[in-house]
Amino acid sequence: MKKQEGKQTGLIFFPAFDWAISPTHPEREERLLYTRDQIFEEGIMDLPQIHEFTASLATVHDIARTHFCVPRVEDQTTEAHLIAAGAAILLAGRIVTGQIKNGFALVRPPGHHAMRVVHGNRGFCNINNEAIMVEYLRSRYGVKRVAIIDTDVHHGDGTQNIFWHDPDVLFISFHQDGRTIYPGTGFTHELGGPRAFARTINIPLQPGTSDENLLYVVDNLILPILADFKPDFIVNSAGQDNHFTDPLGSMRISAQGYAKLTEKLGPDLAVLEGGYAIETALPYVNMAIILALAGLDYTNVREPDYWPERFKESPDRSLQVRKLVDQILHYWQLRDQMPPDSRSIRGQFYERNKRIFYDTDYIEEEQLERLKLCDHCPGYLAIDSRANHGIAKSGKVKCLSVPFKACAKCRSEAAEAYHQAKKMGSHQYVYLQDKSSDIFLGYSAGSGKEWQSGG
Amino acid sequence: MNVGVDVGGTFTDAVLLENNLVRATAKVPTRRDLLVSVLEAIDVVLKGVDVKELDRVVFSTTMITNLIAERKFEDVALLLIPGPGLAHESYNFGTKVHILSGAIDYRGREIIQLNDQEIESALMDLSRQGYSRVCVVGKFSPRNTTQEKRVAAIIEKKLPGCKVDLGSMLGGQLNFPRRVVTTHLTSATREPYHHFLNSIRQALAVRKINADVFILKADGGTMPLENAEELPIETVFSGPAASTLGVQALIPPGETAVVVDIGGTTTDLALILSGQPLLSSRGAKVENQLTQVRTLAVKSVPVGGDSSLERAGDGFIIGTGRQGPAYCMGGPAPTPSDALRVLGMTELGDLHRAEEAMTALGQVLNLSARETAGTVMEMVATKITSEINSMFLDWEQEPAYLVWEVLQKKKVRPGLVAGVGGGASGFITRIASELNCDPFIPPHAPVANAIGAAVAKPTIQLSLRADTEQRYYIIQEDGFQGKLGDKHFSEKEALLLAKEKLLARAVKYGLDLDPEEIETTHREVFNMIRDWTTTGRLIDITVQTPRGITGRILQGVE
Repeated sequence: MKKQEGKQTGLIFFPAFDWAISPTHPEREERLLYTRDQIFEEGIMDLPQIHEFTASLATVHDIARTHFCVPRVEDQTTEAHLIAAGAAILLAGRIVTGQIKNGFALVRPPGHHAMRVVHGNRGFCNINNEAIMVEYLRSRYGVKRVAIIDTDVHHGDGTQNIFWHDPDVLFISFHQDGRTIYPGTGFTHELGGPRAFARTINIPLQPGTSDENLLYVVDNLILPILADFKPDFIVNSAGQDNHFTDPLGSMRISAQGYAKLTEKLGPDLAVLEGGYAIETALPYVNMAIILALAGLDYTNVREPDYWPERFKESPDRSLQVRKLVDQILHYWQLRDQMPPDSRSIRGQFYERNKRIFYDTDYIEEEQLERLKLCDHCPGYLAIDSRANHGIAKSGKVKCLSVPFKACAKCRSEAAEAYHQAKKMGSHQYVYLQDKSSDIFLGYSAGSGKEWQSGG
Repeated sequence: MNVGVDVGGTFTDAVLLENNLVRATAKVPTRRDLLVSVLEAIDVVLKGVDVKELDRVVFSTTMITNLIAERKFEDVALLLIPGPGLAHESYNFGTKVHILSGAIDYRGREIIQLNDQEIESALMDLSRQGYSRVCVVGKFSPRNTTQEKRVAAIIEKKLPGCKVDLGSMLGGQLNFPRRVVTTHLTSATREPYHHFLNSIRQALAVRKINADVFILKADGGTMPLENAEELPIETVFSGPAASTLGVQALIPPGETAVVVDIGGTTTDLALILSGQPLLSSRGAKVENQLTQVRTLAVKSVPVGGDSSLERAGDGFIIGTGRQGPAYCMGGPAPTPSDALRVLGMTELGDLHRAEEAMTALGQVLNLSARETAGTVMEMVATKITSEINSMFLDWEQEPAYLVWEVLQKKKVRPGLVAGVGGGASGFITRIASELNCDPFIPPHAPVANAIGAAVAKPTIQLSLRADTEQRYYIIQEDGFQGKLGDKHFSEKEALLLAKEKLLARAVKYGLDLDPEEIETTHREVFNMIRDWTTTGRLIDITVQTPRGITGRILQGVE
């Protein structure tokens, strides 16, 4: 989006002070308390550059447009989830209609580990706020090209999963190297599906990376890629756990680093993700991000225990980062030129098997994902998924997803597959998500009932 | 018997209430010498009354608002301790500012120490420039007052006689820039306000009135005259608060109503939701400066009976200024009041002159006097209606920070449009019909503001914050910091302590408060978890005396 000067930065602060995963969980009531104190005390909401909005709820269909919640959306979401997603949607709408210049959804609960199929909570997330917002923008406003930059210390594997086959959504995630932190993925060779090669970019960084090297990556890798891709809308999944005091991450980014990062990326909308140093990082990092988005001077935002000398990078590490950047730039040059791996092709479909672990809810999911290789459109997806809930009974579900730009043939094939699966009775639940017509159908074999939602 | 007096910009109104009946009313022009107007109005309503039977006299006044608008106050220097955060260059408050090193964080911990040398050199500068009033305001000072107090102690030593106000005593809520403004305006208006209160004291002494005397605050509560000296800024906007309470006393209980007070050049709007005046979620805005002063949600729209009218293109525009009274009252130019007169919606003013004004205004457009008046009427009503709608919208869109708050948001629309103030009440019917409401001109509408003053009750509130990990608590209203002996201090104990402190404060305000009546308006408890164990609790509790009015006005007898 073009930045309109003189317009305000939209802010939704929704700390969900009455919602927690469990009383002592990092994702608990207290998480944004000190952030609240800091931004209220600074008088941020009074600044002429800021417009505070109140959150509203996302609809069940807004969720169903993006996810397959098993068995239904209502079973995987609480009101807090709908409010967090609703906040992102509300701000995004105001931005694309030109009412505000950009926005920050400072909300809980987070979402970037939530994948397309949702059997439960993984990595503190049930539904993916950014993905839901992006699909809403494309459906409602016809936004064409979207870039999502995930700056959380953890790999945004949920967002990656949802847009893996989507050539119009560029997903870039930098994070602490997956060999050292949850969820253990996000390596450079994870580059997206056969029809969206290099639309997924992963930048694993060594533990201990500080502002200097991070900003090198932004300047020399992320910004050039964005310039090539020319997105109509830029989203920042703004996790704050790269901070040098975060208890879960091991990086060394400061509030100043976050402010500069935000300023350089210039996102249309930032959405809060992780960040669990609730006292030592969040009040400062959130301030820094808000000021940077609003174009205000952020140089005086400083943590009490910050001094620059502490964060000097060694020449070794800097060299490593430069090599990494060159390697990924090379992948980016190969976009649209890589044929799919022939070993993964079965007939007209590209197949992959996935195992997904839900750490919070202790669920193991097995997936067979099949992409129709269509010459006229990005192709529809057919997913068979089975979740093992420990001792609980496991069941199989079938999910059919038709992309926005689907051709008529893919649409009718997916619909046919849905009706076939219904008839066969081989799956507990069958779903058809047609983004091109904004219709969602769900069917329960147990009750024989079908339900539908639409935008 | 109670007397209510509203000292407005144009008129000073007074009423005498006895057992919820209006015994007498008065409306006199406000003179340059307020004392004269107050005496004049009081004399009318107290005619034949034994002043010994008076229980209370309550004043509402625009005094402070005017003082600030005209900047008739003293020069004050600000010593600010903002620490890290927003750029210090943004702290421009239209007066002398010195930024001091030092900082307190959100938990009330000292994170940067004061620099004594820097303080002393700032004080030398102030003494050179002849300042005798200083405000010391720190970021997060309501969480820890020690830095502000230390600076005050140094000032006392180095600049004896200099009057010092502390942010933590006057702006206890979380909002540093508003704390600075609130403290500044309080300090700056103390002296002139003191003179004003003295003239009220004199007026009452002259008439040998010994009743309790109160001043109305922006939030619709009252405070005793003596306490008003400490917090003059709390009395801004007591005019709109007075008319809102007046309407509250005059409409059926539980009603949702819009209060429309159409004055000469402005129209004040306020909302009564299910019988209770709506409080603004943020502090009052005084002359474009944001404060922490608790206030009713009132909105001032720059249109009134005497607004100037002009033709522009093939329509008219309403000017923001006032050229004089309405043409039909002998003024120089056409006004909305002339339109009302032409349409027969008021008897005030000369009909012939009103027609003349409307004819002249509509001439170029080939409109008759009646047609022009109709258009003007429409414009004024539309303008006010859209402002009313946006007030409801603002209220609906107040930010919510809890799941249940978001879920219970609902759309509310008024049932009544209550017109007060006397001037231009002809517009009320029209506004009500646009809003699909019933119009209501209460009995005694012209003096509804004085009635509001008379029925107002004293209110005090108290906010306590306890941090059991650091084992201390702090009282927002006066910055008192106490120790907690036990880290297991519970929410229940905090509530008891807050109530106890409120009762003590009530005594100081001369209030007879029944502990049973205390309302808890805010209660927030967070468990602090560090490394998976509970290390303490943050408890925030606000208690207050009940809001409300002394009674509903029964059938009026004059």
